Formats: sequence, C-alpha cells, structure tokens
Amino acid sequence: MIWNIPHPIQPTRFAAVHILVAGVFLCAACSWWGDERHAIRARLDAFEERVNASAPEGIGSVTRTVEIGQYFTEDVSVDLGDGTAPIAGREMLMGIAARLQARTSEFRLDFADVNVQLAPGGESAEVDLTAQFIRRAAGSRQSMDAREFKLTMRREEGEWRIAQVVAVETLK
Amino acid sequence: MSTARRIIFGPNPRRTTVRIAVLALVCIVVFGWVLLPVRADGDSMLPTYASGRLTLVNRMAYIRSSPRRGDIVAIRLAGPRVVYIKRVVGLPGERLSVEDGQVLIDGSPLLEPYVRHQHEWNFEEVTLGAHEFFVVGDNRGTSTFGRVEAERILGRLVF
Repeated sequence: MIWNIPHPIQPTRFAAVHILVAGVFLCAACSWWGDERHAIRARLDAFEERVNASAPEGIGSVTRTVEIGQYFTEDVSVDLGDGTAPIAGREMLMGIAARLQARTSEFRLDFADVNVQLAPGGESAEVDLTAQFIRRAAGSRQSMDAREFKLTMRREEGEWRIAQVVAVETLK
Repeated sequence: MSTARRIIFGPNPRRTTVRIAVLALVCIVVFGWVLLPVRADGDSMLPTYASGRLTLVNRMAYIRSSPRRGDIVAIRLAGPRVVYIKRVVGLPGERLSVEDGQVLIDGSPLLEPYVRHQHEWNFEEVTLGAHEFFVVGDNRGTSTFGRVEAERILGRLVF
C-alpha cells in the first residue's frame, strides 16, 4: 500500500495564505459596513427609491410626501441656481413636492458618482453627486437632464438628513 | 481530459485560466481608466452623435496636449459615470460671442461645417480664462453650452 503523504509545510502555508486573505476581506467588509459613508450612501439610495416609487392618489400621496420630507432637515435650504427661487425649510419643500407630484412621476431619479466626505466629528458630511432624470417610457431609457449637486447632510436623531442642496454649474 | 473540456480550456487549463485572468485585468484597466465607454443620450450632438450611439473617451488624449478647437470632448459632472458630450469652440484666453447663431472668435466668424441644425441664438462676449474652454453641442437648437474648466474635461471621443 502506498500512502500519499502531503508535504508537511505546504498545506500549512496554503491554509495560512487563505486565512490571511479571508481576514483581509473580513476587515475590509467590516470597515465598509461600519463606515458612516456607507450609511449616507444607503440613505441616499433609500431616498432615490422613495422618490421613484409609483405615486399613489389621495391620502397615499400625502403619506408619500411626508415620507420624502423625512429625508430632509427642518431648516433645509435648496438652491437650484439661476432662474429658480431658493427653497427654505422642509414645509415649503414638501408643499412644492406635493404640487409637482404629477409631473415628477413622469421621470425616474438616478444618483451617480456619489462622493461622500465626512466632516470632523462625524455628525455632518458633504456629498457631491450627479442626479440623472430619466423619462419613464416603456422600452426606452431617455435621459431628460443630468446635473451635479452638492449636498450637506446632517445626522439628526440617528438618521442622516439632507440639510442643504446646491446645484453646481458645470457649464458657466 | 474530455474533448469538450480540451476545446474549452485547451491542453493546459492552468495557463488558460491565467490568460483569462490577465485579459480580464487588462480590460478592467483599459475600459476603466484609459478608454471609457460612453453612450450618447439625447439629441444635443446631432447629427454627429445620435442618441443611443456607443463610443469611447480617450482619457489619455490630453496628458501632453490641450483640447483643440473642434475636438469632441467628455465633460465630467460629479464623476466619470455621467458625462456631457460637447464640442470645443473656444480656447483659453479667446474672446467669444455668438450673433444670430454665428460663433465669433476674437471678432472673426468661426467656420463650423459640422453644424446642420442651426439656430439663431445670441451670446454676450466673454473672455475665456487661462484654463477655460467654451463648449457647445452640434445641435444648436437644443444643446446647452458654456465655459468649462480644463480639469473637468475627461478626454476626447475616439470615433
């Protein structure tokens, strides 16, 4: 009978390399999931999903507007640039959102290139992103517009909320 | 080794795996950092680029040189995933204005054979900064236009 005895060193080294690689991946995954930047991205994904959800009618539309409002701070300010009046406060923003609901349901919002920079202390963050507005049409994907925005986000009661929105002029 | 496996993986599966890995790595580097694939969306670059057309952005095009007049460039917004595609018409330091659709560079009319969809638009004269370019789409009826900082230009479109 022939015994196939493996080399005494090789399996140990092989296992060590695997454990090391797994450890590195585990550390990377832990730091990614535990990072506040990930929490901010997840919050923006949830906002995107909420905005893109089909618009209900009646009381449902009021509930939806209130839910969208929860993503903003009470004193939120929105500056969409030249030709538009600035929006000050959540109440005003929700009012505008409710009035424009029929029009906004014609497109889908898509965030791309989301860059998050946490401020020292970790209670606020600057977010730079591209918002793409895509027309909802069966079988086609036509972009209506794409604009860059700078957001300031603040943590309030354990939730990240949008405190400021400023449109960036890519072409001046 | 069965014939099918031999056809798929070749006589040396280990070498084939390495080749596939290297090819994948090369593709990731080339299409992630050197030649960025983009799809035109909208009609602002008609007739040069129709909506839906795929093309590549050469991100190495302006490493040793600056964008030239007539170049079609990709302009980044917050990052490289969504870009504007525009044509460079004004270069740094130039005075640019538009009168009834005619682009004037330092007071002289610019010949633009690529413009098929002309539009009578006007633009007050501006002097471009040391690192500014003036860009506009070929479809003058619908395209957005303006000054753009050189650092926002990702590269030149390949075809």
